[in-house]
Amino acid sequence: MRLIAIVLAACVLLPVTQPASAQATLDAVRKRGSLSCGVNGAAPGFSMQNAAKQWEGLDVDLCRAIAAATLGDATKVTYTPLTAERRFAALETGSIDVLARNTTVSLQRSAGVHARFAAINYYDGQAFVVPKQLKLTRVSGLADKTVCVTKGTTHEFNMAAWFTLRGFTIYTLNFDTQEQMYAAFFAGRCQAVTQDSTALAAAIVQSGKVDDYMMLPDIISKEPLGPYVRNGDSPWLDVVRWTHYAMLEAEEREITRNNVDGKLEAKDVNVQLLLGVRPGNGKILGLDEKWAYNIVKQVGNYGEIFERNVGGGSALKFGRGVNALWTRGGAMYAPPLR
Amino acid sequence: MRAPPRLLASLALAAGLLALGVTSASADSTLDTVKKRGRLVCGVNGALPGFSLRNAVGEWEGLDVDLCRAVAAAVLGVATRVDFVPLPSDKRFDALRAGTVDMMARNTTVTLQRDAASDIQFAAVNYYDGQAIVVPKDSAARELADLRNGSICLTRGSTHELNLQNWFRVRRLSVRPLAFADEGAMYDAFLNGECVAVTQDATALISTFVRRNKAAGVRMLPEVISREPLGPYVRGGDKAWLDVVRWTHNAMVEAEALELTQSNVDRERRESHDILVRNLLGRAPGNGRALGLDESWAFNVIVQVGNYGESFERNLGSRSPLGLRRGANALWRDGGQMYPLPMR
Repeated sequence: MRLIAIVLAACVLLPVTQPASAQATLDAVRKRGSLSCGVNGAAPGFSMQNAAKQWEGLDVDLCRAIAAATLGDATKVTYTPLTAERRFAALETGSIDVLARNTTVSLQRSAGVHARFAAINYYDGQAFVVPKQLKLTRVSGLADKTVCVTKGTTHEFNMAAWFTLRGFTIYTLNFDTQEQMYAAFFAGRCQAVTQDSTALAAAIVQSGKVDDYMMLPDIISKEPLGPYVRNGDSPWLDVVRWTHYAMLEAEEREITRNNVDGKLEAKDVNVQLLLGVRPGNGKILGLDEKWAYNIVKQVGNYGEIFERNVGGGSALKFGRGVNALWTRGGAMYAPPLR
Repeated sequence: MRAPPRLLASLALAAGLLALGVTSASADSTLDTVKKRGRLVCGVNGALPGFSLRNAVGEWEGLDVDLCRAVAAAVLGVATRVDFVPLPSDKRFDALRAGTVDMMARNTTVTLQRDAASDIQFAAVNYYDGQAIVVPKDSAARELADLRNGSICLTRGSTHELNLQNWFRVRRLSVRPLAFADEGAMYDAFLNGECVAVTQDATALISTFVRRNKAAGVRMLPEVISREPLGPYVRGGDKAWLDVVRWTHNAMVEAEALELTQSNVDRERRESHDILVRNLLGRAPGNGRALGLDESWAFNVIVQVGNYGESFERNLGSRSPLGLRRGANALWRDGGQMYPLPMR
């Protein structure tokens, strides 16, 4: 009896390296009938609610695409806004299935037992915005000035490194949230604000003060942004990764929301593989063979979601730049979907 | 009945280890195995010029060979502690699964169905291959559009025919494919002047012309018109090892982005104030610990093997008989796909 008790006690200590929900996120999402997505919530172009309280953004559309792929319904998503400091904990404890929160991918965030990044859905870089009246032309002009920054981000680190290397002093005001940071900046408590260029541009456009502020030309870091999932659940990682890649493939093959039904008749083997007319991809991912068809039909290809959220169809009007397809000078490149 | 003391002790030990978060998975990690063995066993092609091939004096050379050496430098501190195992195409994944090799750097395409297989995992893309076009060296063509209305040799029924037709159609140009059932006959036809160009994946083109001793008489056009990303594979379920291989490749690309070379990296480690350089080379610790490696892991890679550009140039580029341009394998800021993820 004592031996059994000891063995049982030993077994109870087993699952300490991974939360109980690892390995089974796809099953959990299906059982629940909805996807739980961790987002920023205050990042125009990436994740924010519009005036009618509907969620919009590049990261939101990625979540919708995952829901379309796994549940057949892009609307079955619940969004949880998370601060920068709490985002990884929410993922690791299982409160969310995927973190789609304009989060930079880096070695120390993804090595070891930490969360795993699934893909890069936006190549960004850190920049600075200043009032035009300061008449600054370069970031070096911020020496001895004060910069507003958000806690728990890579921005503070990058900025300190950049100024130290050049022998400059810089002062910072740190805030828990993006909103507090921008409120302080617009109230004049600091001479500059720093964040990824997309977030900065969005905040300025939203403030309605585009004429009073400018972005300095120096981009001081690479900030490849992408979704994260828990470690130890490779099937789920693959679902998130290949959802993003399916949207790139669709764009490369010129398949859009409007023409995808017609493309079901296509003779092109690549199109047949993507849309499940030639089966195989769905099966190995554990999804319906129409997973990618559902993504394109309900959400769109990558170019369409870029345009509507941050490109020409939005107030932000960013160019594709590094986020163009590899065939158009950018870095968006999907391995073959076969 | 009381359990024997040794059984109790081993159960207590197991319980204690589990409580510390040491699972059996990490005890079996390839990283530990390689460290213990003191050598890295690398599955390669063995017959592909520029990627993995023994030279005239029996030394292994190639882009994939360099990646294996880089992993050995990162893990063992010595790039030469590698055993290369040539693997035929149909046996390569079995060798990896069976544990015959620690990793496979064998010009293997990353695809959805391979990535989603649970027992193998790709670690990185170290060469963006794809369908390319070769012309005679004295051809007037400088880019693919120059071949409009020309006859191009290719293999019948392949994706190559489809991709080529697509490329010209999208640009509203015409082309005349000359299709062959047999690859050998296709190359013969090209060398006989029956077509102005021949198309296949770049690595296959290279391999064939070098083997036929005709590399000096041909030139590759700059365009790559399909996606065949090649990269190293490791076994599934071994994240620590996956990270080592992935970030070794990334370190070589980051080194090139930071302009660190075999010849300057020692000085840069001593003198640079750039936090990116200090992070990479271990002056500011953290990366090594995250990977389970010595903090000088990346320094060892660069000083013993070089950065990605150096490896490319010596094996495939301007310092090799192949003379390929970087193309899709250039850094992202030079129009290619090599984008090093932040190493912090």
